[in-house]
Amino acid sequence: MNLTIDANSPLPVYQQIMQAIKLEILSGGLRDGDPLPSIRDLAKLLRVNPNTVAKAYYALEAEGFSEGRTGSGSRVKAPPGRQDALRRAMLEGELRAFLEKAVALGFSAADVTKMIEKVGQ
Amino acid sequence: MNQSLIEVHDLRLGYTRKRVIDGLSVSLRRGEWAVIAGRNGAGKSTLLRALAGVLLADGGSILRSAEATPEKIGFISDRFSLFEDWTVTRAIGFHCRAFGIGSFDDGLLRRVGIAGKTRIHDLSAGERAIVHLSLALAQRPSLLLVDEVLHVLDPFVRDLFVGALIEAIAVRQAAVVTVNHVFSEIERLPDRVLVMEAGRFAVDAPPDELRAGMKKVIGREPLPQALPCLFSRADGEYKEYFIHPFQEEMRREHGLDFQDVALGEIIKAFIGGGYERKRMA
Repeated sequence: MNLTIDANSPLPVYQQIMQAIKLEILSGGLRDGDPLPSIRDLAKLLRVNPNTVAKAYYALEAEGFSEGRTGSGSRVKAPPGRQDALRRAMLEGELRAFLEKAVALGFSAADVTKMIEKVGQ
Repeated sequence: MNQSLIEVHDLRLGYTRKRVIDGLSVSLRRGEWAVIAGRNGAGKSTLLRALAGVLLADGGSILRSAEATPEKIGFISDRFSLFEDWTVTRAIGFHCRAFGIGSFDDGLLRRVGIAGKTRIHDLSAGERAIVHLSLALAQRPSLLLVDEVLHVLDPFVRDLFVGALIEAIAVRQAAVVTVNHVFSEIERLPDRVLVMEAGRFAVDAPPDELRAGMKKVIGREPLPQALPCLFSRADGEYKEYFIHPFQEEMRREHGLDFQDVALGEIIKAFIGGGYERKRMA
């Protein structure tokens, strides 16, 4: 699993962990039923607080990306049919954050659309 | 994780003439990493020693849960002394008898390469810290108090040290309290940041909340009056303004570049702000 934490990113670490695991799931690196690393192992590996990893795991479970099983830690829940909807939801989340920034900088929706077309070419 | 380990209420403590802790209240919970910051002489080390039970309060109370009795509190400090001419093995034996410890894990000592026959006074600062940590961990502590030790460790030993603290939280739900002056190494570790000022906590908040609530503006122009500036610092022609409390609407209203601030800078601004208020008073 390819997980890196950017200590200087304004994005909270638990969200960075969630993003990274979701990306692994959506790209097929982690499959349905695969075990997630233990909280202890991942905390030590990433040098982050175990509570942060736990928070990410709870949130992943709440969003339906994993499920906990007593005694054996969390496992990935990724029914094949849902992949597409999830990918879309993730991009939408990114887009929303981007648009908030654009609006804060004073750009209009039309400006952004124009810029996307320009960069896309 | 929300189970309270120690409740400190209105603690007052001082040395002959000077009151160092003055009406401090705090509750420490299982499984959390709290970092205490503050200027020199703010009372950080005194508080740790009171928590460890080696200093008695002049007033107020420290309520310990059944899990936070002094033998379940590991205290690691560069001032903490062992008998200097003892060997490491002898110090371990003494510590285990004193705390009724049955088994001692020498894993960290082996990884750093500390031989049992080494005398305490021949250990480097980093090696001493690892010996102290090993002794503290052998107590199976519910609370680990770490006083300004991290920054004397080389990167390899620091990694082992921090890894052991992470493990204590993950495996035993220990609470970890560190007193720091340098934050880059633990940027993403604490659950809670406590800034001490005038003998009590002026700040007690999760780091993400602090990051969201403080931004930095760098510029040559004076800051608009409406912006709350906690602390400013001149660097040549430019001035750095630390805005606190920051709100997202300020970006739109003022069109300034509000930059994110690292934990160490946030703490610097709080401490510096304290100095400025003190000068004005």
